[in-house]
Order: sequence, then structure tokens, then C-alpha cells
Amino acid sequence: MNSTSASAAVTPQPLFITPPEVFSEFSHHHPSVARINNGGFGCCPSSLISSQRQIQLQWLRQPDEFFFNQLQPGMLRSRNVIKELINADHVDEVSIVDNASTAISIVLQHMAWGFAEGKFRSGDATVMFHCTYGAVKKSVEAYFVRAGGYVIEVPLPFPVNSDDEILQEFRQALEKAKQSGRSVRLAIIDHVTFMPTVVMPVKQLVSICREAGIDHIFIDAAHGIGCVDVDMKQIGADFYTKNLHKWLFCPPSAAFLYCRKSNEISALHHPVVTHQYGNGLATESSWIGTRDYSAQLVVPKVLEFVNRFEGGIDGIKRRNHDAVVGMGEMLGKAWGTHLGCPPHMCSSMVMVGLPACLQVSSDQDTLKLRTYLRDKFGVEVAIYYRPPKDGEVGPLTGYARISYQVYNKIKLLELDTDTEKLLLLLLLLWIIDITGKKYLSLLQPKATTLPLSH
Amino acid sequence: MQHEDPRNGESAHRSSKKPKLSSKFITESDIRDEFSHHHPRVARINNGSFGSCPGSVLTAQRHLQLQFLRQPDAFYFNTLRDGITASRKIIKDFINADHVDEVSLVDNATTAAAIVLQRIGRSFAEGKFQKNDTVLMLHCAFQAVKKSIQAYVTRAGGSVIEVRLPFPVNSEEEIISEFKKSIEEGKSNGRKIRLAIIDHITSMPSLVIPVKELVRICRAEGIEQVFVDAAHAIGSVKVDVKEVGADFYVSNLHKWFFCPPSVAFLYCKKSSSSSDLHHPVVSHEYGNGLPVESAWIGTRDYSSQLVVPAVLEFVNRFEGGIDGIMKRNHDEVVKMGKMLAESWGTNLGSPPEMSAAMIMVGLPSRLCLNSEEDAVTLRSHLRDRYEVEVPIFHQVFKDGEEGVRDKDGFITGYLRMGKRAKCFIRNEEAVMKVRAAFHGINICVLPSSDACGITQFLKNQTKKRKEHRRRKLYASWKPRNGESCCLRGCNEVESLGTYAFLLAIDKAETSNVGIGMALLQMVRIHWSMLDQPKLLKPWLWVKHV
Repeated sequence: MNSTSASAAVTPQPLFITPPEVFSEFSHHHPSVARINNGGFGCCPSSLISSQRQIQLQWLRQPDEFFFNQLQPGMLRSRNVIKELINADHVDEVSIVDNASTAISIVLQHMAWGFAEGKFRSGDATVMFHCTYGAVKKSVEAYFVRAGGYVIEVPLPFPVNSDDEILQEFRQALEKAKQSGRSVRLAIIDHVTFMPTVVMPVKQLVSICREAGIDHIFIDAAHGIGCVDVDMKQIGADFYTKNLHKWLFCPPSAAFLYCRKSNEISALHHPVVTHQYGNGLATESSWIGTRDYSAQLVVPKVLEFVNRFEGGIDGIKRRNHDAVVGMGEMLGKAWGTHLGCPPHMCSSMVMVGLPACLQVSSDQDTLKLRTYLRDKFGVEVAIYYRPPKDGEVGPLTGYARISYQVYNKIKLLELDTDTEKLLLLLLLLWIIDITGKKYLSLLQPKATTLPLSH
Repeated sequence: MQHEDPRNGESAHRSSKKPKLSSKFITESDIRDEFSHHHPRVARINNGSFGSCPGSVLTAQRHLQLQFLRQPDAFYFNTLRDGITASRKIIKDFINADHVDEVSLVDNATTAAAIVLQRIGRSFAEGKFQKNDTVLMLHCAFQAVKKSIQAYVTRAGGSVIEVRLPFPVNSEEEIISEFKKSIEEGKSNGRKIRLAIIDHITSMPSLVIPVKELVRICRAEGIEQVFVDAAHAIGSVKVDVKEVGADFYVSNLHKWFFCPPSVAFLYCKKSSSSSDLHHPVVSHEYGNGLPVESAWIGTRDYSSQLVVPAVLEFVNRFEGGIDGIMKRNHDEVVKMGKMLAESWGTNLGSPPEMSAAMIMVGLPSRLCLNSEEDAVTLRSHLRDRYEVEVPIFHQVFKDGEEGVRDKDGFITGYLRMGKRAKCFIRNEEAVMKVRAAFHGINICVLPSSDACGITQFLKNQTKKRKEHRRRKLYASWKPRNGESCCLRGCNEVESLGTYAFLLAIDKAETSNVGIGMALLQMVRIHWSMLDQPKLLKPWLWVKHV
């Protein structure tokens, strides 16, 4: 080996993570399941699981010392990392919570107090899209409606062809509210809807809300970071929440709630009250009684992991998007169906129409189909039922929501687990088309006779 | 080690399962292994705050966490719900509840308090309660509960009555009479008491409250609902929710029941209004009953709730199961507490029958603990300097109140000692360290063979101390094997053991008689605690400087 001058000249570039390394990071995933539902529960690489374990052991080793000396600084570090990531102004605007469901409860509880304390009148409304996540709808029922509020649901056109279709529906709903004399106190907008999945034009929706004088705008971005660009100042909402375990590789579970600095921010409280009550939501959320905070403390390590990929989180996002759109289009062509929305409205997930012969005709069917695919084929994919509208002829009623994350391997020329599975699926459906409905009888055990092929 | 697969739902054999009749019970060295992840040098006598969890349970938990990560959708659809139901069934049997629907699993008692108080807040907001209707609580209720009352009750227009508990306390009657007085006050001016919050075991200062009697009084006085905050109860005292008779009862499982952080159960007696209890974090399960709501509050790690079957297995490895553990904890902590109080000339905060696995021991008044800050400073000092983890309580006296005195003044500080049966073998050393700290005594444990080294060490110490202008008194006394000897003013001490103690005593603080007493106590304690009299040979150096 030569002297220092020579070695300085050949200092190697830091290598990006390689495919075998990615494979080993996710080697704890079930090896024979094609996991194309990252949007459901997310994923977490082994190196982060180890980091999390370190933190857990530190707590168990000497919990009092950890509580007094390490917990709060650790949470603050995580919050600072997130603040940088989302371009928030101040770290006080960033609170860490368990998940988006917790975040929505915080905001809605605040709204409920608005009614109880006379700031809002009975009948004041909230506006949200009809495909808003189930937990959010229930939370609205539990806090907003119960306190005297009214809900305006905006139908989301689906399949959808452009942002304008969505904006149009939204404007119409607000117009109707105005005409009926209701004050709209809160708008709940998904950044990326859950089912069916579509990237919403949030910036424009927020401007429409501001024009209409809506007090509070809450963006539910459970699928935000790692899926779409997230910039708080650009988006301009009052509240924004995002799960970090879905697309940002955190162990379950961690999420942040961004609350734009305003007079009201000090009135927001975590529903689980501790001695930190009154010290600001961020501080309240960082101690809600004895529990395992390791998933929230490990956030700085998450950034380290993400930056091992070429292009960091943006690179991952871009590649996910391209891959999933490619997969979706391939399936759409093979099945003779189509995507639920144009590629620019897809994130790292895409809705692909299922062949009509599958006759998905209810939410129950989607569950049965999903279970069938899991148990018989080892394919994990979410299925959506889209009810036909009046007057529609031969619409597609079933869609598969396909996700792509770094651990998926879909290269059409390489046969590996995931692709094999998809091909099997294709084959299966092709067989069904020919033999007709044999598979359906397996889904509907109530049928006593096996329908004959025709 | 074989563990019951926590993935199994309610298996047929579980309900008829008796405690494992293993060939032997868990041994000392097994216990050391189970808790080998604890900091080896820290004397942990504060189990009450954050609890502890054995290695085998942590392994079971890890297994569950990996299962989720392996295939989360399948876990969610096939394993999670059944696993939590299995845990709830175990708890239901333990606490003698009627029906598993009465048992919900939540993160901790703080969450349970939020659930109950949120409903009270709603009742005020929806006009079911009148403004100024009251909630009753003990003045030493846990701080989080007090804040929760502020957040949900006071904010909604309710008022609060605090029952001032006497401390130190001599009998249950003292508590009962204060309680009755406060109820009178709460009902004055035509107000209704809507909820009484009673601790089963208070946190600071720690006392076992006669809950059964207090609940009976509440019923007799027409108090609508009673919530028992028993954060410390399960694993410390017997828990029988039907006997206690409250409407709501919560206890943490990670404090004294060996669960990983964190999990607690909330028992809600079946009634017409129990369907109106909701978890504050709302999911699609809203409206399906609190147990079902609590079993899914969004994506998160539920492993600590699923691991309860493994915990039960662990507990049954001890002789007498959880009952045996509780009894031994109680006996040991009372013994340790009494010994400390005697050697310091102070008192216990309550009679032994009003303590469970924790006891309050009066601190010598010459420590001059005059504020909450002093208590925190002392606690940090003990942690950093002596590696002892123990919470300190500062007693605030109302005007005209007088506390207990020791020979030097009023006792204003108490130490809360919590004992986990034989899990921390260094407890006796911890106790000695604690004692030594307050006597201004430094303890070094040196091999007894190193006589010259010890003398040299002493000389060095003397020099150092002189530099710091502290007057030190070193005592030296060396009995021969089998010889019994006298210290001035003390009783006979037998010579025992192989350890040597080096004592440096601050002369300004103790008289010679005091030193003698301290030495005597030190020897006795070590002798009795280690239970190995033949091996102990105290070589005590007490040398005047």
C-alpha cells in the first residue's frame, strides 16, 4: 500500500445502499408473501429495529435516569429532524404522536370545546371528502357531531381524470353550504386519499378554503412523506399530520402533527393528560404516561437510513412512483382495465381496475377476495369496492390498490417472488375468464351448487 | 425456554390451567439472569415508578413485534384481536370481574383517567351535570389525574374537593374520618358529588387506602360514581373488583406485574352508562364498546398488551405465584424500612399493615429538606453520587400543623422504598449506601486480606480530607476470628464474614456513641441481610484523626 498522498487521491465515494443490502434489511419480511400493500401498515428495516431495541434496553436498564435525563432531549431531537424535513418555521409547531388517528382526535377535541365554550354555534359545519379514512369519520362523529356540528361530505369522483374534477366538486359543496347559511369551521382534506388512493391538489384546495373564509384547515397526510412532497409553508394549512411508519420506515408507530403557530396553538391539548398539561401540545405529547417511546426517539436514525439511498427520500419517492405506475399499467393492459387516475395523481400507490368477471359487488366481497389472495396465493394487496353510479353501463366495481416500496422487486424480465405472484394472479384471472366463475363459487360458500361453466 | 405461544387465542386448556408444578421454583440465579439487563451498579429501590420486566417476557414481546413486522396485514386480521382478548380474559380472572367485556386494556392509568374524566367533561358540556357539581379526590392524587380533572372537569365548569390525607398516618380511621368530612363539604350548598376518585395505593406519599370502606361510604352518601385509581395495585395487593365495588378500577400491569411498558387494565362495571365510555383516540371501532375501541387505536405496537400470558407463566414460577411474591415483597420492605427508621431515629410513614411493597421512611431532620427542590436535588445526588435510585417526598405542613420529630428537629422528608422480592440482590448494599449517605459515611468494600492496602488508603483519605477542610474521624477495630468484642456504648457484636468496611465518618455530625450505634447497625444489617453469618468478618477501622 502506498503513502498517504496516493490513498487521499483514491478516497472512494460513499456507496449507496445496494440491492442485496436492501434485501437483507427487509429479510424479516415473510419470504413467500408478495407484499404489495405498503400503504396499509408500512415497513421497517432491520437496522432501525436494532436502533429501536437499543433505546428500549436503555430504558429498561435504568428507567428513572432515562426519564430524567434522556427522554425529553431525545424527543426534541426527533422533532427538530421533522421540522427540517417538512420546512416548518419553528420546532414548537411540531408534536410527535402515535399516529394520524391520534392527531385527528387532538384537533377534533379542540373543535368540540369550541362548541361547548360557545365559540361555535350548533349547526356549524365541517367539510370533508366522502372517502376520508374511516377512523377520521368516526372521530368527527365522536367529537364534532356530538358537540353539535354538522358534516358536509364532498363526493370524490372516481375514477378521476384531472385535478379540476376534484376542485369542482369541492367548490360546489362549499357553495351549497354558503347558501344554506352554515358556517364551515373546519375542512378536512386528505393529501393522499386512502381508498381509493389519489393524490389531491392540496395547495389549490387550501386556497379555495381560505377564499371561503374557513377557520381551520386540517390535512390528513397519513401517506404524505415518502409518497409526495411535503412543505408546510407551501401548503399553508393550519394542521397537518403524517404517519412516519408508513412511508418513512419508522417502526410502529410514530407520527407528527404540525400546528401552524397562531393564537390558538396553546389551546390544543393531547387527550391523555399528564403533569405536562398546559406546557404546549409538543411537550404534552412527549410525555403521556409511562410507555415505550422508542419508535418516536428513533427518528434521527431514520433519516440516516433514508440517506443511504441515492437521492435520499426524494429518490426513493420518485423510483417508487415510476415502478408502481409501471406495474399498474402492465396489469391494466393485461386485464383490459385501467388505472383509477392519471399517473401524475398517483403517489407510491396506484389503483388498478380489476376485471369485471370477478364481480366485486360489496365491501364484504373485497375482504373475501383479499383473504383469498392472502391465504391461497400469499399475495397481500388491498381491494376497493367502487359502487356503480346510476346510469353507468358496465363500470368497473373492483380496484386493487398496489403499493411499491424499496423492498419490492418488480422487474419484468426477472422472475422473483413478487412478479411470480402477479403472473400467477394474471393466469388465474385469465383462467376464470375462460372457465367462468369457478373461483367465485369459492368466495360465496352460500351457493350450494357449483355454477357450471358456460 | 418454552413459552406459551401468545398467538394462540383462548385455548381450551387455558381456563383450567393450574400454576405449573415445575420440578422446582425459580432460583436466585434464574432471577439474576432474568433481570441481567438492569444497570449492574445501580441500587434500584424505586420499582414503584416505572416497574420492571424480566428477560423471558421481553423475549416473548420481541417475538410478537417481529411477527407483526413480518406480515402486518395477516397479524392485524388474524392475530391481534384474539391475542388481546386472551390477555383480557386472564386479567378478568385475576381481578374477579364478572365478564370480559368489563375489562379493557389501555396504555397506562393516565389514559384510563382521561377516559373516565372525558366522559364527566361531556356530561357537563351536554347539560347532564350542573355547573359546580363536584368531583372528589385525595389531595395526594397522582399529578396526572389532577391535571386531567383540570382539563376535563374544571374547564367544563365542575368543581373539585380535595380530601386532605393525614401523613404520617397511624390508622385507617384517620383516613376514613377525613374522607367523611370532605364529603360533607362537597355536598354543601346543594351541590352533587358526581364522581369520587380514590387511590387504592397512593403514589407520594405511599399508603394503602381502605378503599372498600371508602367506596361503601360513597354509596351510602349518594355519590354517583366511584373511580379507583389503583395504578400500583396489581402485584402489590390483592385485587378483587367485586369486593371493592367501584364503578371504575384501573391498575398498571408494568409496575408490579412484570409487563413491559406499557399496559394497564381498566375495569368498568356493567351498567346503563358504561356504553358511553370511549377511548379518546377514535378509530373505526368507535361505538363497539370500550374494550374493542381500546384494542385498536390506529397502527402501533400492541405487543405489551399481547404478552400477558407470558407474564402469567413467569409469575407462576415463583413459590406461591403472585401471592407469594406480594407477601415476600411486603415483609422485606417492612423489615428494611423499620431497620432504616431505627438507625436514623426517625419513623415510618404508616403502620406496616397500611403498606404493600412500598414504605415511607422518615429522613433525618438534619438533612434540612425544606422544599420540593431539595427533594429533587437529594434524589439526583443519590443517583449520581451513590448510584441509588429512590424517590424522595417532601412533606408540606399547613399552618399550625406539626410533624413528627426526631432528636434533631422536625422530619420533613421521606424516602419511598420499593422492594421486588430478591430480584435485586444488591438491595442490602443499596440500603447501606443510603444509610451511609445520610450519616456522611462513605463505604468501601475491600477484601479483608488487604490489611496494608487498607491502612495506606486510610492515610491517603486523611490527607485528602484535610485538604477539603472536613474533619474526618476514622475508626479502626479488628476482632480476631470467633472473638466477640464491644464498642463503647454498644452491645456485643460477633465477628463474622470476609468483607471489610472502611468508614469515614464526619465527626461534626455524629457523636461517638452515634458512631458506635451506626457501626453496630451496619454489622447487624449486613449479617442478617446476607444471611451468611459464617462468611462475614467485619474489619472495621475507626481511627481518630
